[in-house]
Amino acid sequence: MNTLLEQLKNKRLIWQGSQQEQSFTGNSTGYAELDEALQGGFPQSGVIDIHSPIGIGELRLLLPALRYRQQDKRLLVFIAAPMQINGEMLAEFGIALEQVLIVQPNSAEHALWSAEQCLKSGCCDSVLLWHQQLEIAQAKRLQLAAEQGDALHVVLRQNRQLSLSLPVNLAMKLNPHAQGLEVQITKRKGGWPAHSFNVNMSKAWPELTLNQPTDNVVSFPRAKVS
Amino acid sequence: MQPLWLYLHFPHLQLDSLCDAMPQSHAKEHDGVSAHINHQHSLVILHHKTNCVLQLNQAATDAGIRIGMGLGTAAALDQHLQVLSYKSDIEQKKLIEIAEHLYLVTSDISLFPPNGLLLRIHNMLMLYGGLKGYWRALKAQLNDFQVHYYYASGQSPYAARLLARTAWNQISDHLPMLLHQIGIRQLVDSELDRKTVDKLARVGIHCIADLMALPLKDVAKRFDIDLVTYLGRLSGEFHHPMDFYHPQSKFQRYLELLYEISHTDTLMFPMQQLLAALEQFLKIRDLLTQKIIFTLYQRDQESLTLEVGSAQGEYQANKWANLTVLKLDNLTLKAPIFALELTTAETQLRSPEKTDLFNASKGTLSYLQLISLLQAKLGEQAISQVMLDDDFRPNKVNRYVQPQLKSAPKPILVQPLRPSFMLKMPQPLTEKVTVIHGPERISTGWWDSQPITRDYFIARNQHGQWLWIYRAASKQWFAHGLFS
Repeated sequence: MNTLLEQLKNKRLIWQGSQQEQSFTGNSTGYAELDEALQGGFPQSGVIDIHSPIGIGELRLLLPALRYRQQDKRLLVFIAAPMQINGEMLAEFGIALEQVLIVQPNSAEHALWSAEQCLKSGCCDSVLLWHQQLEIAQAKRLQLAAEQGDALHVVLRQNRQLSLSLPVNLAMKLNPHAQGLEVQITKRKGGWPAHSFNVNMSKAWPELTLNQPTDNVVSFPRAKVS
Repeated sequence: MQPLWLYLHFPHLQLDSLCDAMPQSHAKEHDGVSAHINHQHSLVILHHKTNCVLQLNQAATDAGIRIGMGLGTAAALDQHLQVLSYKSDIEQKKLIEIAEHLYLVTSDISLFPPNGLLLRIHNMLMLYGGLKGYWRALKAQLNDFQVHYYYASGQSPYAARLLARTAWNQISDHLPMLLHQIGIRQLVDSELDRKTVDKLARVGIHCIADLMALPLKDVAKRFDIDLVTYLGRLSGEFHHPMDFYHPQSKFQRYLELLYEISHTDTLMFPMQQLLAALEQFLKIRDLLTQKIIFTLYQRDQESLTLEVGSAQGEYQANKWANLTVLKLDNLTLKAPIFALELTTAETQLRSPEKTDLFNASKGTLSYLQLISLLQAKLGEQAISQVMLDDDFRPNKVNRYVQPQLKSAPKPILVQPLRPSFMLKMPQPLTEKVTVIHGPERISTGWWDSQPITRDYFIARNQHGQWLWIYRAASKQWFAHGLFS
């Protein structure tokens, strides 16, 4: 019995809970709520799959982490962005524009190809790809390429329909919220899905959040004078 | 030091320089010079004026075809005969290619177009420790080409040439033997013109030895001065001036194909041969190039040019091959290709990139290599970098440029609260939004006749998206960006 187990283990056919790497170190995302939910932050390399409508703050959620990753002087690549990337906003946030590369391929196929090339080249630290439909095999390839080049790959998708669970490090679903974003982590390597939570952006971008209903208003005591 | 010359005669250089585009026949390339020609079809090269066979391959010889036969006889002997017309410029190009390669081991090379090379070797012997060592080094260089050659040494250029053209195939510095060998050659094989040979034959002189036996003075009296000069140069008594070959500084190589190619996939094999030659050329000179140019000669069509660029200078054949494959994907051939040519643009000296040994990246490409790769596949306009111009107008701030070398741009004053995505053209606002922040008036640009006067607002629509909208002077509302 034991030898059979040994054999299966050697062939990597069985998976044991104790094999899971426990020493997970993440880079801070810049948001305390998200860091807590991710137990440290975004992974150093791998694929992050984000389902989000466009223009609700999905890029702002990533920017602090992207800025931090630029420290080792590698490239930040935007592939197939739905609109023109505004360099002024990136520069204002402190991202070095000379390390930003913008790729606008003609087709989704070429976009995937460029993402893979950028990831495995080793000279990009983060690659953002706007892509609609990702298949399992493609996600796997991107994952391997990201690990090979020690890069973080973020796939941003807009379609709302639920797709298959992909072999990625982290999958998140974003929804708009008055004070920032409502984040639901649907998949995390080495973790369990958790309830959705809110990320408060009112500190970093006070102009891009709705005013919180102030809760320090105490109703004026009505003293009855008799 | 006794002068010694070596002559290499290539009897069918055009036939040998035809490239076989089929990789499987490539396997035999190292089996020696004579083994590789084993094409199934017999092939002859025909002189276009005299219409007789000049060069032929093994299959044609087996079929009974001989040099000097007319086309009719040859065609009658083999019905599947392939016929090519003789072109001396192909031979000449190949000859220069061989000379360039031999230049790596020997210094003084003189071209005898279209199919001979003369080497001055007595000044090289010290370096190689004698004739044997020299010939071994030279032979190794020659074996890199799949060409047939005859060779011979001689005490003078003409002597070496005469012996090589009559296929003596020996290297020696023993003067009596050389003199004897020259002596027994027929006059018809020499450089002398037909008329002189006939004239000499009439007085009973048939071989060189007969002629040498006569005193020079008598020969001069009886015959013209050219014969005297020839004899003097043959024996090595007269000085024979030579122009020696200087290698080119630019790479240019032409490859004629044995079969016409109409698919881009098959084209890659001959291209790789050219790239390998390029690699060798650049490696020896320690050079890099940023651009290579393939010229594809099409049948009955204008030739195609295929330019492959690499932002980082490269010399390695496999790196160029990868980029070329990507370029070939986008290429459509209108007609079959019969020949290829590869040239390089400017070359530069190689200066290795200095990188930290401990902080080296795990990847395989450098920044510039990645950009070249993307540009080769997607086209140059697909890759850009964003630069900022010092302007208040939102549509003038961003400038999308070709990726350049890393250099920090000049710092400009950037405005706070700008959207991350901009629409190329502002769109009329069509949905209901709530204005959260604003206005910010931008009224500028009076100096270049593109003035704008706009009040910008940050607004949120019902889907929770943050828009950057503005009201023009005409009171119309437009959306201009998204705060993503």
